[in-house]
Amino acid sequence: MIIDVHAHWGPWFFSMEVGEVATNLAVMDRYGIDLAVVSATEAVIYDVAAGNRAMARVLAGSDRLLGYLTVNPRRLDDAERDLRELLPTGRFVGVKIHTDYTGSPVTSPRTRAALELVAAYDLPALVHTWDATPLDLAQACADIPGLRAIAGHMGANGWRHAVEAANAVDRLWLEPCFSHTEAGRFAAVAAAVDPGRLLFGTDATLIDPAAAYGAVLAADLDAELAERVAWRNAAELFRLDVD
Amino acid sequence: MNRLFTAGDLPPVTLDVDVLVGRYADRPGPGGEPREVTGALRANGIARAAVASLRAALFDAPSGNDEAAALAGPAVVPVGGLDLRDPLGAEREVERLAGRGFRAVRLFPDEQRVEPDFPAVRHVARRAAEAGLVILTGGDVRRWWRPMRGTTVVFLDTHFYHLGDFVVAARDEPGFHTSTRLLNSPDALETIAEHVGVRRLLYGSRTPFHEPAVPRLRLARSGLAPADVAAVAGGNARRILELPA
Repeated sequence: MIIDVHAHWGPWFFSMEVGEVATNLAVMDRYGIDLAVVSATEAVIYDVAAGNRAMARVLAGSDRLLGYLTVNPRRLDDAERDLRELLPTGRFVGVKIHTDYTGSPVTSPRTRAALELVAAYDLPALVHTWDATPLDLAQACADIPGLRAIAGHMGANGWRHAVEAANAVDRLWLEPCFSHTEAGRFAAVAAAVDPGRLLFGTDATLIDPAAAYGAVLAADLDAELAERVAWRNAAELFRLDVD
Repeated sequence: MNRLFTAGDLPPVTLDVDVLVGRYADRPGPGGEPREVTGALRANGIARAAVASLRAALFDAPSGNDEAAALAGPAVVPVGGLDLRDPLGAEREVERLAGRGFRAVRLFPDEQRVEPDFPAVRHVARRAAEAGLVILTGGDVRRWWRPMRGTTVVFLDTHFYHLGDFVVAARDEPGFHTSTRLLNSPDALETIAEHVGVRRLLYGSRTPFHEPAVPRLRLARSGLAPADVAAVAGGNARRILELPA
């Protein structure tokens, strides 16, 4: 089994045609991905309330997709309402916060408030991280009791900071998706952090899973660690009954 | 044995257009010793590669290109690196490389901090084209297309974010080609094949600095026919470099 903890449903503004649910499923099938946790691109990029509701409708029709409820730190009233109204569907298992599209760095008061809200709901938060910002997310985990966070892209080029961040706190997980695939990046991270903190994420359908899958493939993990990365750590983090 | 992250369908690569030897002084990473690089190519199913020297790109073009030339053989097609910070030296080096039988030159705009509107770029590109050399170039295709007009060129850094710009430029430029290295969205290879033809796609890995498995895997799982996969994995590069199979 493979669980993709960083995926999206919906169209993107580039020259690409990847907005249909069928594309999600086809791309998952290309790489043997059984389950993907997705956020709505509309919610991430533009209209969080409309995007979350569209996401809920899609999730109701697919047993291979679980949802991130997207939180825009600039719209905390929307976030509270969306959590209250949409969590009862049972299809949302975490929260997505994109720091760049919302202009809300992890260190900003509004994002800290959003993370406190997420922690109060006891949901994992997938947070976009780049360069040194995994360290900011680690600090948020240290400061906010109960916060469980995934450093999306594990800092991209800043993966060395992600290693430091994951080793600094016990509630920060890393996933590797990044369209630039520096040689040895995932192997180096896997060798340097608690094996329980590694997840598999692709950024599909923006990025083809080839990027993350190929990076993990190249790391040549042993069977136990591969299983942790592929699904076991994700199942524990999201409290999924995948057996 | 790990049975979760495996791929038994990776296509053989018969010619990779984007391989480097040497090292960067300003960043961590592999040492780029030629023996290690050719070993990495073999380990990743890459039979042959167009190899340029970072010594040529970063320090001294003639001696770096001599280093690349010394690697020529069944697994290595040497590529001459040019230094656009020294346009007068670059035009001399184009003549020298053409005289030595090189098939291609490589430009390193990011490493050399050269912008596409610098006079050196258009001048050197013209000289290379007049000498019958294929140009391999880094840089953002949205800006580097302009000085490359009329040449046979492979854009090595085309990101799928900029795929549409490559397509509309390539429609007017039959010599425009792109590496597959960063075309890792779910439909990038297929979109380029549909709009300007699969002949414009060339496998590039940037071994040893990037993971060669990624563009190989993306190619393996593409919607391209087996003959088209083989063309991307080496046939197209041999065609534009005029190399025998």
